[in-house]
Amino acid sequence: MPRFRVPNSASLHTARFLLDSNHFFSARGRWATFELHPRWSHMEPLALAMGAAWGAWCRRNRYEVRVVNSGPRARYAARMRLFDHLGVPFTAGILEHEEAGRFLPVTQVSDGASLRSVMADISALLHLEHDSETLAAVQYCVSELLRNVLEHAASADGAFVCAHNFAAKPPHRVSLAVVDCGCGIREHLSRTHPEAACDDAAAIGLALRPGITGALPGMYGAPDNAGAGLFITRCIAKGSGGYFLVASGNAGYRLRRASDDRQQEILLEDPLAERHDMWQFRQAWQGTIVALEIRTDHIGDFNEYFAWIRRNTPRRAAASRKVRFT
Amino acid sequence: MKTAVVRIAPPDTSFAEDKDYAREVRTAQLLPALERGDAVVLDFQGVRFATQSFVHALIGEALKRFGEAALDRIEFRSCSEQLRSIVDLVVDYSLGGFSSSEPSGATQGGGQEPR
Repeated sequence: MPRFRVPNSASLHTARFLLDSNHFFSARGRWATFELHPRWSHMEPLALAMGAAWGAWCRRNRYEVRVVNSGPRARYAARMRLFDHLGVPFTAGILEHEEAGRFLPVTQVSDGASLRSVMADISALLHLEHDSETLAAVQYCVSELLRNVLEHAASADGAFVCAHNFAAKPPHRVSLAVVDCGCGIREHLSRTHPEAACDDAAAIGLALRPGITGALPGMYGAPDNAGAGLFITRCIAKGSGGYFLVASGNAGYRLRRASDDRQQEILLEDPLAERHDMWQFRQAWQGTIVALEIRTDHIGDFNEYFAWIRRNTPRRAAASRKVRFT
Repeated sequence: MKTAVVRIAPPDTSFAEDKDYAREVRTAQLLPALERGDAVVLDFQGVRFATQSFVHALIGEALKRFGEAALDRIEFRSCSEQLRSIVDLVVDYSLGGFSSSEPSGATQGGGQEPR
């Protein structure tokens, strides 16, 4: 049966264990089990968005979801609306005196209208009204990642997004995740890049390079897609000193902090040339998971990120004409 | 040569990310004006940030169809620092390409082949 077992720590930093120790999409039986740790589970947006996407997949495929260990220690997951997406009532009560806000609960985004609604709510929900640089970075990443799903993932349930602003103690960061149970990167890219069809790791490696899109052959001609969204999102994560993860099918890539400050300031076109982890999982995630951290204490001037990205983005030839700004 | 002023004003926000809106401006205003031989002012007054996808959806096809010559007829007005960088980035890869990607293919609509 489909089974989603949450270890006692389920975050971007412990993602490998979470992804490698589950049989998320097993086809047997009529029950699906979501199992929380019996004593305590620290769930970050990555795990919450995954759980919600998985719950939607289970319900769409007529599995009856049951939750194991949904006691009082699961209140945070309940406040993040995970149980709503699992279709299971949470009966242990929700403590309202926990940290007031600073999170975007798991939200399903299935069209442009729901995306715009999320974008409008981010500032207030994450308490970023007075931190315009972090707000811009978060809005940027959320928009690009959600539009990727809506335009490319062929996901019947759309995307699930979740974010939390960890502001109480260092490292200060916004952790966010966008997850779907759609076609996955390999299937999407293999239509235009046959080399992506061989395995999930190759497909992820391609997807993280600038200029690679599955939208149409010979990009730049695609009026609405340049294939730069994931590349720029990983650049923003690197620029702020945060982690970045993409998992799809049987593979997962995680960008780590560079080993020294000088390397941290350099963008590399090839994601495999960055300091990273590349994992192979025994069981596949049917769809795509993207999670990242934006270090709010390192964000600096968001305006400068794009000049930095432009300086560091390899081009075949520089345009000789200057753009006219007035 | 006439000059059309196109105000870029995504509804209810100073963060331009709505590609549907960008597509609408592109197809209803920018491309028709360029096809008529007019110049176009893209006025970003009130927009503080934009995504690369938004700017690409707005101007990428014009650069593809008209090549570098499009820059002679498009003026970018009241761009924030971030917007300038994004526009430069989109122009760079639209005309020059990313080094990791395939060379740009045939142009659409019989326009000029970008370099």
